[in-house]
Amino acid sequence: MLELNGLDLGAMQSLVQTIQADANAAEPYNEWTARVRWMGGFKAQALVRDHTFLIDEPADLVGKNEAPNAAEYLLGAYGACLTTGFVLNATKRGVKLRNFEVTVDGRIDNILTFLGLSDRGHPGYREVVAHAYVDADTDDETLQAIWRDTVASSPVGNSLTRTVAVHTVATRA
Amino acid sequence: MRETVGLPLFPVTVVGSWPRPHTLLQALKRWQAGEIPEAEFEAAADVAVLEVLRVQEDAGVDVVSDGEQRRDNFYSFLAGKIEGLRLMTLADVLEYAEDKVYFDRTLRSLDAPSFAIKSPTVVDRLRLRSPLAADAAAFLRRHTSRPIKVALPGPYLLARATWVAGVSDAAYPTREALAADVVAILREEISRLVAAGVDFIQLDEPVLTDVVFRPSVAVRSFMCAPLAAPETDPAGELAWAVELVNAVVKGAGVRTGLHMCRGNWTRNEAVLLSGGYAPLQRALEAMAVDQWVLEFATPRAGDLEVFQGRAGHEIGLGVVNPRIDDVEEPATIVARVREALRYFDPTRVWLNPDCGFGTFAERPVAVAEVAAAKLRAMTAAAAALR
Repeated sequence: MLELNGLDLGAMQSLVQTIQADANAAEPYNEWTARVRWMGGFKAQALVRDHTFLIDEPADLVGKNEAPNAAEYLLGAYGACLTTGFVLNATKRGVKLRNFEVTVDGRIDNILTFLGLSDRGHPGYREVVAHAYVDADTDDETLQAIWRDTVASSPVGNSLTRTVAVHTVATRA
Repeated sequence: MRETVGLPLFPVTVVGSWPRPHTLLQALKRWQAGEIPEAEFEAAADVAVLEVLRVQEDAGVDVVSDGEQRRDNFYSFLAGKIEGLRLMTLADVLEYAEDKVYFDRTLRSLDAPSFAIKSPTVVDRLRLRSPLAADAAAFLRRHTSRPIKVALPGPYLLARATWVAGVSDAAYPTREALAADVVAILREEISRLVAAGVDFIQLDEPVLTDVVFRPSVAVRSFMCAPLAAPETDPAGELAWAVELVNAVVKGAGVRTGLHMCRGNWTRNEAVLLSGGYAPLQRALEAMAVDQWVLEFATPRAGDLEVFQGRAGHEIGLGVVNPRIDDVEEPATIVARVREALRYFDPTRVWLNPDCGFGTFAERPVAVAEVAAAKLRAMTAAAAALR
């Protein structure tokens, strides 16, 4: 098996060929779902495909601090998305990665609005800063090009930077 | 009290490390990745050592070092010398970190990823694989007629920072149990260094400042050891450090020094530790070393006044700050030394930088040109003082 950065190059190539031959083959990858169930207090459990993970608030915010909170998962999700993208784009260019780590910092616009104590601004992130640390066998120019492609093609990054149509509904059960 | 034989008044020396040239950093990386044999790395280091030596000799440094060019940092290099000690990245040991918030904060202050910070961690009983520094010292000895200085990581640093609960306790149930082997290894190395013709052996104990200047020892990090050391009382830690240092230097038969600093991993002085020597003074005095190698160029080290009445002690006075590009004027250094002469006998004052210029191979705090200019400023000051 031909491998680079822990990825099976044959499998990658065959996936690309399948999708190139029939764009409909990629359709399942346009749909993603999650189910989240309340567990008491501020704790919740997410079910995603056959995985589950917990969500909680820190003790300071009256949670049990058993897991990251939802807004932290968003930062983690963006960091993970950038990681996946960087590995993909590096591998496409034949660049071997030794190590990759990214820090993601978010600044909430005004947390008081979430607590209902202010109507100024909003309770979402005003700014998110991602800083990638790369240890790879490549020159700076290639590294920056991989990073640019990664940021530009990040599904989570695009969800953050573009207006996403969010439809919500609540029903009695 | 050890006599200063064959040296002028106000001997000028270094604390140890020097920025590595790019070629050596590349060789280090490739050697660590298993891409080149050790001999190829050592050959690159030989070239770098000779250059560091030339710079020191040209500047008129009286007691020279090899710039620690063969080390990735001042103590991690031991992982290659001692079986049972494994270089683990902070990423490897993240799961064992009791305080992950502090762990992340430390990395952020370093502006570094967890894979870049490596810490030697005890994973098995310690057994010497090769001399810690004697081979490097022998190389330096062959290439200079000047007295030479070698720094070794101190026993307290090693016993505290390499023992990680959950990783090390299978080999040593406690860090105290580990300390006995650490002391034995350091004592053997000192004998080898003496035999290799080393004139001055310095023990690096930077974590001592961590003990007294942190609000709690529970915040247990010093640069690259954020996992070790359970919560204990600072006085007990200092007493234990004294005991270990004295066990190591007993009967050494060579000039010994004890170096401590308040952090040398960033040029951002604001995040480094701060505080005078008063809480450390009793421990310093109880240590049976010939010289205290102390920071005094940085204002964070406080005043010299705490050493009132200590004329009998020898001091390696930190007179240049390795972390700032402005080169200290010789006149400024002279004034600082004159201040020290209110408390120390002139025959007992040495001049050195506050710390190394390149403690961490990949993150030196200075560039070689600035470091060399600082050496020249020190030797000019020493000449004026003599």
